[in-house]
Amino acid sequence: MNGWIGKYLRVNLTTRKITTEVLDPRLARDYIGARGLGTRFMFNEVDPKVDPLSVANKLIFAPGPFSGTYAPSAGRYDVVTKGPLNGTIAASNSGGSFGPELKYAGYDMVILEGKAAKPVYLWIHNDKVEIRDAGHLWGKIVPDATDALHAETDEEAKVACIGPAGERQVLFACIMNEMHRAAGRSGVGAVMGSKNLKALAVVGTGAVTVADKDAFKAAVMKARKMIQDHPVGGTGLRVYGTDVLANILNQIGAMPTKNYQDGYFPTTNNIGGESLTAKILERPKGCFSCIISCGRTSRVTNPKFAGRGEGPEYESAWAFGPDCGVDNLDAVTKANYYCNEYGMDTITMGSTIACAMELYEKGLIGLKETGGIPLDFGNAEAVVEMVRLTGIGEGFGKKLALGSYRLAESYGHPELSMTVKKQEMPAYDPRGVQGIGLNYATGNRGGCHVRGYTISAEVLGVPVKLDKDTTDGKAQLDITFQNLTAALDSSGACLFTTFGIGGDELTSMLSSLTGVTYTADEFMKCGDRIYNLERLWNLKAGLSSKDDTLPERLLKEPIKSGPSKGSISKLPQMLPEYYQLRGWDKNGVPTDKKLKELNLTEQG
Amino acid sequence: MVRDATGKSEEEWNAPAATLGVLVRDLIARYGVNLQKWVMEKGEMNGLSIILVNGRDARHTGLLETPLKPDDTVVIFPPLAGG
Repeated sequence: MNGWIGKYLRVNLTTRKITTEVLDPRLARDYIGARGLGTRFMFNEVDPKVDPLSVANKLIFAPGPFSGTYAPSAGRYDVVTKGPLNGTIAASNSGGSFGPELKYAGYDMVILEGKAAKPVYLWIHNDKVEIRDAGHLWGKIVPDATDALHAETDEEAKVACIGPAGERQVLFACIMNEMHRAAGRSGVGAVMGSKNLKALAVVGTGAVTVADKDAFKAAVMKARKMIQDHPVGGTGLRVYGTDVLANILNQIGAMPTKNYQDGYFPTTNNIGGESLTAKILERPKGCFSCIISCGRTSRVTNPKFAGRGEGPEYESAWAFGPDCGVDNLDAVTKANYYCNEYGMDTITMGSTIACAMELYEKGLIGLKETGGIPLDFGNAEAVVEMVRLTGIGEGFGKKLALGSYRLAESYGHPELSMTVKKQEMPAYDPRGVQGIGLNYATGNRGGCHVRGYTISAEVLGVPVKLDKDTTDGKAQLDITFQNLTAALDSSGACLFTTFGIGGDELTSMLSSLTGVTYTADEFMKCGDRIYNLERLWNLKAGLSSKDDTLPERLLKEPIKSGPSKGSISKLPQMLPEYYQLRGWDKNGVPTDKKLKELNLTEQG
Repeated sequence: MVRDATGKSEEEWNAPAATLGVLVRDLIARYGVNLQKWVMEKGEMNGLSIILVNGRDARHTGLLETPLKPDDTVVIFPPLAGG
């Protein structure tokens, strides 16, 4: 095979049996790789009703066919499992260089089954694969564990590991690779911890073969130039990073503020990308084969919040910033560093603290519950301390470790959790941008923006500008973005390449790489297939159309101030059309006709 | 980018103006080509920047013909993206 390696590892941590299996080319063609392929294997091998933290769940690391090639920004991989935060099929995407290294070692996937009797890590050096003792690593934060693994395996090894949060199975624990990149959402790190698996360390000396080298080179060079010539991919993201979005979201009145109690935060500029660049940025940073370099290496010198690391991204700056009523960039950045060190999703962490702040504001919890720490909105020190306590598993941090839904429910007020399907929504208020709300509500892993980033059209004007306040056409917009993203996530390329190239350029590269002819329509059909497979999983896991909704606050309480004052989400006007255009029945179930159209069967 | 062109993050504009186009042309006259390249080409908005008038995107309010009133807030953003 070309693009794909054609084989994958299966590691049973209970029996310590390690096997190499051949990848079915038909599955590769129809599900591409990464998110799609991992989901197909999960659907085939795991009962959707299993307890996510039980031995019956599986954990799959999967790059895509682009990963490890010189296609632009071709460093992505997915971790696929049943997510413990909300029981949905979780495919958490990350960048860096880990995915390419797995390809160089000779694998399209690593499937982890069972549970080790004691903490272990997996050392992969091409076809030499060992399960090694990790007792001496258990308890180490991500940087320390990574350094130790470099010392005892190879200085050039690419390491994906969990921190103490994953070890303790914090429901939103993430998996970090190269210390600062995160497979962030849905608690994939907790699944890894439940298997007593601390890390994967990989060195590969192989290569990814290309079907038509001349055609691939031409397609890649064309795509790279288009991205570089585009003002966003070529300049904007490198200069300011993703946090540059903060000011525009605020200026259109869609900045979720104080646990989504409002849509405008007057001092947003203090935590925005322009301030980050001026005050704490050391340099931009890119992933494997990346020409965009949206990453930030940063340093905080304020002794109160001192540290050095990467980030914050827009989502993290929002979650610890306006969502908690905080405008202190140093504190926001420190909270982000703690999440990277302990291995926790910044969106869920920040949003859970915001929920706790509203519980505190309303007198539903007090100093007794918070361990004497006043959890007022705007208390920057409290935000940082709550992240630290969650990371080390002490005090109120033990309750925050459950995520906002279970936290709020435990105090009798689940409606104060700003979640969809129990996963916290990100940094775009659906009352101020209608289409993103539909995307949140229909997202297969719950509250999530990247799965269908309609902000691109509704706010940024890429590829075209749509009015953020209307509902016409938003159902089809969401479906198009969701299908394209599902296919793109599965290819191993970065979502940000779509700020410069489209389906034609992606399929030109993919076809010449793999030797399998993909048209833009077929690529989108793969995405549609993957999206529907995820939907089928979730239905079997017990979710239903009643979960395709938003918190009542967004449906009934208008934004109080700012440019979108008075707006609510018009989700009920968009959802029926979404189901119909998806080819689902009125209950949101894919019809037999739809499944046949996609050639989507129980076993692939 | 836009701030680099103007040397400031905000300013007050007191000249009489009927439309967004009058404001933008005045800014270009003062700050030159370094600003112009982000906002206009051949007399029209070039779609690189996002221009908001009171939080509404000018692409939905009449482009450069968007009327302005006293105390209106106009914000010009360079090409952005994120996730």
